[in-house]
Amino acid sequence: MTKEEVIEVIKRNIVDNLDDVEEANIDPQKSMKDYGANSLDMIEVVSTSMRELNIKIPRAELADIATIDQLADKFMEYVDK
Amino acid sequence: MHDILNYSLADFFFNDNKNVLRPPTDFTEWMSDPRVQHGYSFFEQQLLAAPKVSTQILSNLDHQKRDIINLTSYNYLGLSTHPEVLAAAKEGLERYGLGASGAPLLSGTFDLHVKFARMLADFKQKEDCILYSSGFGGNVGAIQGLMRKGDVLILDEKCHKSLIDGGTLAQTKTMFFDHNDTNSLEQMLEKSKDKRVLVVVEGVYSMDGDLVDLPNVVKVCKAYDAPIYIDEAHSTLMFGENGRGVAEHFGLEEEVGISFGTLSKSFGGVGGFICSTADTVRYLKGYSSPWNFSCAPSPPVVAGLIKALEVATRDSTLRDRMWANTAYLKKHLLDMKLDLGKTESQVIPIIIGPSGEKLMGFAEQMQKRGLFLQPVDFPAVPAHARRFRMSVSSQLTQEEMDRTLNIIEDVVVKGLRS
Repeated sequence: MTKEEVIEVIKRNIVDNLDDVEEANIDPQKSMKDYGANSLDMIEVVSTSMRELNIKIPRAELADIATIDQLADKFMEYVDK
Repeated sequence: MHDILNYSLADFFFNDNKNVLRPPTDFTEWMSDPRVQHGYSFFEQQLLAAPKVSTQILSNLDHQKRDIINLTSYNYLGLSTHPEVLAAAKEGLERYGLGASGAPLLSGTFDLHVKFARMLADFKQKEDCILYSSGFGGNVGAIQGLMRKGDVLILDEKCHKSLIDGGTLAQTKTMFFDHNDTNSLEQMLEKSKDKRVLVVVEGVYSMDGDLVDLPNVVKVCKAYDAPIYIDEAHSTLMFGENGRGVAEHFGLEEEVGISFGTLSKSFGGVGGFICSTADTVRYLKGYSSPWNFSCAPSPPVVAGLIKALEVATRDSTLRDRMWANTAYLKKHLLDMKLDLGKTESQVIPIIIGPSGEKLMGFAEQMQKRGLFLQPVDFPAVPAHARRFRMSVSSQLTQEEMDRTLNIIEDVVVKGLRS
């Protein structure tokens, strides 16, 4: 799986979980917070994305991630392992 | 599962097992690991006596009974075992029995409940008060009772779970502003201009011991005509000239629309209460499910709580002693160069850093030396700031404080250096 595909999964889950966000307008260099996500929304997006990608990453490793792109990089460390 | 120690309860919320009665398979595997079990052995340890400073536990570490100095209970003013409080509770027990045997609306309201609610309303200088059987239920019940789908609940990011759960139940849009950051709060209020909003803060934040920046929160909320809800769970009976809490401390009680307090911490009993206008309390009694559908607070507990309020407010002896103890411990902990965050209260965090292993190792050593200071781990606090949380009590003697400081110096200070 490519990083672009991982980003697509995250974007789709952002759209599913947040109000008034369109997939085409999501910039991976931004944080989910910039699209109105609160901490509960972010847990939901991260969890649903991980389930879809069939990976499991400890939350403690995700604490310092600031952008959607960085989240995708972290996911890539676990995808296809 | 590899790197098992990196996982925490934050990682097993979702369950893919079809049968809901079967926890996630990897959760069971994780919990069965001896290293995880060791970490969990710090939790649910049995107290064998009252939650005084000097008490006894049955240690989960080695199954030994151990006399300990207890700096973990929230018995800040020692009221849970105050002789006058106990006498009043015994009298209440004799007269009313153990339980209220009914929800407040139908048969659970006793003269004691009415008297205590009136006392609390007068104490907090609000028109009326509603009592809940639990503090958690009070926060959940207030938010759920007042807010509706489409409303916006704006919480400081360090607010208690009960406040978040209230929003979930009410189906609000819930927004978190950066901790004590009024610019962040203003951005949220600006985004929610056309909605019904409620801004929620805590007097003392329970994991850090710092205070709400109430003067600036009030300034921003006034500009947006947004009502303020303050949770004074860790500040009632302790802050302010008369012990009314952090809103009194800042001289801003009239700016706060709802004042919440718990009865299980400084009061030494159990329950929660909301003080507000008579209209708001009346409305809550119509729609707040944890009030409507729970048994009323236990009468002997309320009898004890009435006395606890009297004892704590007839003069400032107890809170003065608690503040003197807090100042003494804080000074010596700072002299040891420990990181106490931004505490301004009787809740003193000792921040260890990112190592869960060190946190648990120190906890075990301290307990075996006779100090009951519970570790607070991720996800309850950030992974880089694992900590101990000291709850200072008025009951501490000089000897107990010095013994506490010695143990902390020997275990934590030396352990952090090595």
